[in-house]
Amino acid sequence: MALLSIEDLSLHYVTSRGVARAVDGASLSVERGQVVGLVGESGCGKTTLARAVTGVIPRSARIVGGKIMFDGMDLVTASRRDANRLRWREISFVPQSAMNSLDPVYRVGTQLMEVLTDRGGMDRRKAKARAAELFEMVGIGVDRLHDYPHQFSGGMRQRAAIALGLALSPKLVIADEPVTALDVVVQRQVLDLIRRLQQELSLSVIIVTHDISVVAYLCDAVAVMYAGKVVEVGRAADVLNAPDHPYTMGLYNAFPDLERSQRRLTPIAGAPPSLIDPPSGCRFEPRCPFSIAKCGEEPPLEEIRAGHRAACWRTGDAAELREKAADVATWEQREGVGA
Amino acid sequence: MEYIARRVLYTLFVLWAVASILFLMFRLMPGDPRAAFIDNTFTAEQQQLLLVQFGLDQPLYVQYGKYMVNLVQGDLGMSFIYKRPVVEMVMEVLPNSLVLTLTSLIIAYAFGMVAGAFLARMRGTWVEGVTIPVVLATRAAPEFWLGMVFLAIFSFSLGWFPAGGASSAGITYDSFWQQLVSPDYWRHLALPVITLTLYLQGLPLLLMRSNMLEVMEDEFVTMARMKGLSEWSIVMRHAARNALLPVATAFALGVGFSISGNVVIETVFSWPGIGRLLVTAVSSSDYPLAQGAFLFITVVFVVANLIADMLYAVLDPRVSHGSAG
Amino acid sequence: MAAQVDTSPAGAAAKPRAAWHRRLKQVLPTSDPFAVAGILIYVVFILVAIFADQLATHDPMEILFTDTYKLARSLPPGPDHLLGTTNVGRDIYSQLIYGTRGALLIGFAAAAAVVAVGTLVGLVSGYLGGWVDNVLMRLADIALGIPFLPFVVVLAAFLRPSMWNVVFAITILLWPNSGRVIRSQVLSVRERAFVEAAVVTGASKAQILFVHIAPNVLPLSFLYGSIAVGWAILTEASISFLGFGPSDTVTWGYMLQDAYASQALSRGHYNWFVPPGVCIILVVLAGFFITRGYEEILFPKLRR
Ligand SMILES: Nc1ncnc2c1ncn2[C@@H]1O[C@H](COP(=O)(O)OP(=O)(O)O)[C@@H](O)[C@H]1O
Ligand SMILES: [Mg+2]
Repeated sequence: MALLSIEDLSLHYVTSRGVARAVDGASLSVERGQVVGLVGESGCGKTTLARAVTGVIPRSARIVGGKIMFDGMDLVTASRRDANRLRWREISFVPQSAMNSLDPVYRVGTQLMEVLTDRGGMDRRKAKARAAELFEMVGIGVDRLHDYPHQFSGGMRQRAAIALGLALSPKLVIADEPVTALDVVVQRQVLDLIRRLQQELSLSVIIVTHDISVVAYLCDAVAVMYAGKVVEVGRAADVLNAPDHPYTMGLYNAFPDLERSQRRLTPIAGAPPSLIDPPSGCRFEPRCPFSIAKCGEEPPLEEIRAGHRAACWRTGDAAELREKAADVATWEQREGVGA
Repeated sequence: MEYIARRVLYTLFVLWAVASILFLMFRLMPGDPRAAFIDNTFTAEQQQLLLVQFGLDQPLYVQYGKYMVNLVQGDLGMSFIYKRPVVEMVMEVLPNSLVLTLTSLIIAYAFGMVAGAFLARMRGTWVEGVTIPVVLATRAAPEFWLGMVFLAIFSFSLGWFPAGGASSAGITYDSFWQQLVSPDYWRHLALPVITLTLYLQGLPLLLMRSNMLEVMEDEFVTMARMKGLSEWSIVMRHAARNALLPVATAFALGVGFSISGNVVIETVFSWPGIGRLLVTAVSSSDYPLAQGAFLFITVVFVVANLIADMLYAVLDPRVSHGSAG
Repeated sequence: MAAQVDTSPAGAAAKPRAAWHRRLKQVLPTSDPFAVAGILIYVVFILVAIFADQLATHDPMEILFTDTYKLARSLPPGPDHLLGTTNVGRDIYSQLIYGTRGALLIGFAAAAAVVAVGTLVGLVSGYLGGWVDNVLMRLADIALGIPFLPFVVVLAAFLRPSMWNVVFAITILLWPNSGRVIRSQVLSVRERAFVEAAVVTGASKAQILFVHIAPNVLPLSFLYGSIAVGWAILTEASISFLGFGPSDTVTWGYMLQDAYASQALSRGHYNWFVPPGVCIILVVLAGFFITRGYEEILFPKLRR
């Protein structure tokens, strides 16, 4: 049984401008010890989906359907007490901006101790030892436990956030764009750290990123999200080498490898649609270079091969489309889209 | 450290400037300033004597030099009317002002912070809709008018409190401390404190409320929720602790502001403090006394501002602990 | 250079006026019910001030007599004297009406002066920089280091108590608040591209300052103006209450001082001292409502 399985989850934001369907029937599962990438452009609902798993969602957010099964319990319908018991002990979160996620007025060590004593039930002596151990694990000098967050560099803050996330040895760590705010060299170091710790501790991890190269580097499985929906999901190697959804093909062209190979890059023209009033039918259709008449209808997320699913009407021609998609010109032709 | 040194220098600079402005004001204002202080019933000799006594017969720069030297030595001259050293008179009433101000401020800020945090939680409810305009009204009211209304109701009409002063007739104290623990003193203090508290609580309340609302949206509060910390920890340890920073600064600034506003409150309640001393000195043209009282108020005001800055530095690690990473 | 001149003229000519308009619109938050209430209160008081002669039933300072030729002292509110009379037989309602005129006159005059000085200093200081900036800002430091009311008291004792002197005193102590904020606004605006464009096209310094930079600081000036009105009215009331107020004008502060000094409190003449206080609250409150959410700019130190 999967550790986490999100089934047909829908989450809406009620705003003054209307209801934004930020997550619209998304499904995703994470096996024990697996690293799952959640990838897509900014504004596609990745953060929203990831945060829904932690159970802490903004006041304007409403879960309107679906299940979040974690270790046999549905977090959507669980009582507050049950859900709270899991927080940080079983499911922890590494945020995008470690700067804002650390309380500026307490020492980093104090914030670690808080979790260890309040949530981990350790006494102070034990907690101290654990805090030192955690800092060692993420490669920060133990003396820096006495520093305040603003005294850390960006990379150190991110490491501290990882230490914080691992404090109670959770089963699942959700990392939301854990390296996006860092410069390239530091990005690499932090990704290595995540990979090492994941293997040592056999963690289950969800990595949220807009950068498909991060997925290639870290992930066992990947789910591609577009406009509130999961449009393609499968083993990372599969999805990256033989994408079935044109959006995945486009994403691949849009980002450099971590190895910085000389591949020509081109962004997908336009931007993800507003989730308040998304296009009917396939949501990617307006930006898709391969759209056909049928795309006016919404494609279901269908199994194509074992463990590989995609929501596209043209999965049958996928091999041909991949060839065309590899040609940068395909993406440049579609002018005036979404501009 | 350098920051604090800079602030202290700046404070000294302001004090020097104010002292100099005062000096000039009392000597260069239109109309012969002496006329204000020397009654025309004085004989010519008496006038001359007074001029010499106050050094007004010397050239301006000599006067200024002497004035500054005396000032630095803590000599503010003699009261023209009471014939007593100004410093002595000021020191006699300054404690009364500080007791009034600090008592009110402490109550007002303690109340304001709790009520402000509570109101933040009540956001969007009718409680908020009713409370905010009322609180704003207390900030809009002239403090002396609040005092007048309270005097009329609680003192004259209901007779609950004395109508003014700091002690009942015939009561004297051997020391300030004896006075401070006397119930009679506190009975006199009550109504001014209530008035001032009501006037002062609005700022910390509104400030705390808006800070709380802001901080509660901060990412680290969301993280605290994800960590499953208790509601108490989230609100008090994280949100309130951060929201408190500007309120603490406001408190220190408030000491200065309300000492300076004391001129009206102390006048309404005939409270023997430094504000009332200034008003009576000015009304009776007691120039050295007015100058001394004003300088002391300025010192308290400027020092309170200085403390406010330092307090912020102490409470906010981002200022007190420079970046080392 | 010439080519660049050609690319922008239409925009450059049209922009300044549009900018003023847009900025003003931003400042007047007409959709906020509190702001609307505040504006309404102001309108009512302004009308009362304008039509004081028509609205008042008596000369505010005239000592009145009853039909039986007795001094009309301390009369309760009634049809002849809507709010009763003072202890020497003056009509309180009429005082309140004329007091509105006096208070608003002082309030608006002081606010205008504060904002004019503050804006000018802010513009000059921010735009010129250098030693001019330094001197002006040190002056602002000093003014902010002076305890407000005590200074006004001392000053009022020197200057003959008159309306204009009260305005003067308020102005010299309140300009730094707006001056400082406007200066920092100018500093940020100055760097913006359109200013540089104006430099390229050869506009004079004064032109750049007033045509391109000024519209951007106008909202702040307006904001400080609305706040300063309330401050000035409160300050005038305090000064008058202490007995250093203008002797030539009836104001709310004068009424309160008169009531206090005439034992209105111990005699329970609420009809005398409550109305002026309520009027002050309303005007100041209206200012708060209009500038709601900008509380912190009164205490710039609180914002870091
Ligand atoms: N707190 C919120 N209130 C209203 N709308 C939100 C909120 N957070 C995100 N959204 C909207 O939901 C959509 C998805 O956002 P997000 O989950 O942050 O996407 P991503 O992480 O993929 O960039 C966006 O259109 C965004 O504008
Ligand atoms: Mg995101």
